[in-house]
Amino acid sequence: MNDPSYEERLQKVWQIPRGLASITAVNHRVIGVRYIVTAFIFFILAGVLALMMVLQLSGDNNNLMTHETYNQFFTMHGTTMMFLFAVPVVEGIAIYLVPLMLGSRDLVFPRLNTFGYFVFLLGGIVVWGSLFLGSAPDAGWFNYVPLAGPDYSPGINIDIYTTAISFMEIAALVAAVELVITIFKVRAPGMSLSRMPLFVWAVLVMSFMIIFAFPPLVLTSIFLAADRMIGSHFFNVAMGGNPLLWQHLFWWFGHPEVYIIAVPAFGMVSTIIPTFSRRPIVGYLIVAVSMVIIGVLSFGLWVHHMFSADASILGMSLFAAASMAIALPSGAQVFAWIGTIWDSERVEWRTPMLWATGSIVLFTIGGLTGPMLAAIPWNWQVHDTHFVTAHFHYVLVGGAVFPIIGGLYYWFPKITGRMMNEKLGKWSFWLSFTGFNIAFFTLHYTGLLGMPRRLHTYLADQGFDLPMQIMLAGALILAAGLAVTLWNVIASLRRGAAAGDNPWNAPTLEWSTSSPPPAYNFLYIPVVDSSNPLWDAGSHDDESTRGYQTGTDHRETLGTTALDAVPEQRLAVARPSIWPLALAASVGTVFMGSLIDLVFVPIGAVMSFIALVGWNWPGKQRRKGL
Amino acid sequence: MRHEGSILQALDLPVNLNDRRAPLWLGWVGLIVIEATLFAALITSFFYLRASSPEWPLGGIQRPDLLLPTAGTVLLLASSIPAYWADHRGRKGDLRSLLIGLIAGLIIIAVFLGLKIYEYSHTGYSWSTNAYGSVVFFIMGFHLSHVIALVLKTIVVLAAAARGHFNQRRTVGIQTNGMYWHFVVIIWLPLYFTLYLSHYIF
Repeated sequence: MNDPSYEERLQKVWQIPRGLASITAVNHRVIGVRYIVTAFIFFILAGVLALMMVLQLSGDNNNLMTHETYNQFFTMHGTTMMFLFAVPVVEGIAIYLVPLMLGSRDLVFPRLNTFGYFVFLLGGIVVWGSLFLGSAPDAGWFNYVPLAGPDYSPGINIDIYTTAISFMEIAALVAAVELVITIFKVRAPGMSLSRMPLFVWAVLVMSFMIIFAFPPLVLTSIFLAADRMIGSHFFNVAMGGNPLLWQHLFWWFGHPEVYIIAVPAFGMVSTIIPTFSRRPIVGYLIVAVSMVIIGVLSFGLWVHHMFSADASILGMSLFAAASMAIALPSGAQVFAWIGTIWDSERVEWRTPMLWATGSIVLFTIGGLTGPMLAAIPWNWQVHDTHFVTAHFHYVLVGGAVFPIIGGLYYWFPKITGRMMNEKLGKWSFWLSFTGFNIAFFTLHYTGLLGMPRRLHTYLADQGFDLPMQIMLAGALILAAGLAVTLWNVIASLRRGAAAGDNPWNAPTLEWSTSSPPPAYNFLYIPVVDSSNPLWDAGSHDDESTRGYQTGTDHRETLGTTALDAVPEQRLAVARPSIWPLALAASVGTVFMGSLIDLVFVPIGAVMSFIALVGWNWPGKQRRKGL
Repeated sequence: MRHEGSILQALDLPVNLNDRRAPLWLGWVGLIVIEATLFAALITSFFYLRASSPEWPLGGIQRPDLLLPTAGTVLLLASSIPAYWADHRGRKGDLRSLLIGLIAGLIIIAVFLGLKIYEYSHTGYSWSTNAYGSVVFFIMGFHLSHVIALVLKTIVVLAAAARGHFNQRRTVGIQTNGMYWHFVVIIWLPLYFTLYLSHYIF
């Protein structure tokens, strides 16, 4: 047999383009890493803004920056953290991990995925470019009208917000659709829904939430863009419009958004804790169902952001009750995590485990202030004060950023093939955990004293100097802690110890292949019969089953049935292509071009049509392949 | 299904099933769900603005006449029939019926588009008149852009079909085109109710 071996043929057909051609790469791991790295760059930028704001607040009547600059900073901090860091980073991690956890060679629509990344990148560059030009959005990340309307914000600042946000949400939406379909169609044979890793459950819930939450945001951004650019009157009271319409549509998106970020982070915690507790999670079913319930309930909470706006008491009471009810599934998960640690015979306190456990503590504190804020009288009292800022930083940093960094330590060996330094990791955790609590617990106090958020300074005798200096100290410690992790990443890329396939002795499929995995992920598509396949494999007499061999004429992976994951077809998967970039640039012309002149809207639309046809036109090679 | 120590072969499985189990088909379902959510938000906006206004339509605008819009609605619904037929026959490899059906559907849609353009160039108000005008023109504009997208997409499918791209084993492209067609038609019904009938019912 002179034919190249099966492995060589797989390698050839899944080859990742190198050099200049890498811009056409569509492999999910390449795109996933691009997402993660880009999102972390935005995280660092937004973190620097936060530090400068705290510095500005560290003394009364401080004039480090003008209030205009301060407005741009807090708006960009929030906007970046929400739209350019939190959502893209969890999507990036999902794009990287989901096919590996499912035992698949790729996502089902790799080109769509690539398109999404370029959209995200382009939108992010425009938004941040505007900050460096001094005309960044400055009406807060939720951008309320009438402040953000044409009368009170005549500059280009808000136009950047409306166009870039609605543009970038396309990226989130396409990623959501393809993650859902991937999860339903390419799970390893035997991986019925009840054996799916909890992180994949979390991604599934997140993706469904994105599908139902982001369209209203896109729509309301377009309404506002139209009010500002072509003279419509959606939010103009004088012409029959209603500014509260913005608030309703925004929070229809905005409240689920919190859980869109938090649920995948819960999924990471639910992955890390069992691994280091060396036992399956307690209450797998409860955790999975809790995530689904959170996903559904989160759409019934949005008015609690509007208790101080006009609404009927009965209506508000319903939303208050729903807001308190969501504490139940969240609490159920926390108990499952605690139970898993409790019941463990030997907990290994490695770095990822520290971040995950720290997250439980912080999220619980943030969770406690949640029902407080859901109580309407309390809400009226502390609305728009530092108390609210403290609450959502505990929820989002504690509930999402800590697990994400824990996840970084956990999956870094898989992504790079090298371990991160354990000692630096622990230093980083304890510094961050301490600094975060010093900084943000203080905000509860200043909030109760009545310090409004988003104010760039205060007067000398108001008693805020000392707490804000404590806050500054905490923020610097937090920043130092995160900087240690950044250094750890850079140093470990070169000098980290070799990881091996499964350094943590973890139970899920991504650890069954090499680190980093080959371009085709798995030589044979694995077959599973439990939710912890790598832990349970040794107990079967048929352990020598190696899995499914797939075709090598073109890229393909194994398609299975949606519920029980029985093999039903071979799925052809797209090759590298330049069209995703072309389409992203064309759609970008519609949105970003509108900032310059509305004539770019039809031009971009025609370009998009051409790019779409080019993308989908059946080529010769593809026809032969199928 | 397991074989001791062996490698299982996926090679005898079919490549890309040609029905609802195809990811492409599911992908179109995803797009349709997203767009339906978008339309739901549009309808919500319409009734929210209505609920917070003392009069509706605003500013002395007359409530719309029902005759032309109802005729248009019937036409749009009718366009689904040849589209369905084209899809049905095309799936069996009948290229001729596919082409005829899609072209017939497109002609009906073109009449619908003409009616809408006529209607909305004779309203006497526009999106910049007041909030009522804004929301009406946006709902109409969003739907029209979907109709136009459908027309362009169908033309591409026609061109691919004429080049012999589709055969009996590979018709998902035809099926999804049909599905999107029916979506654009069906989503019009709640919009028709919102823009026209709601003025007369409550």
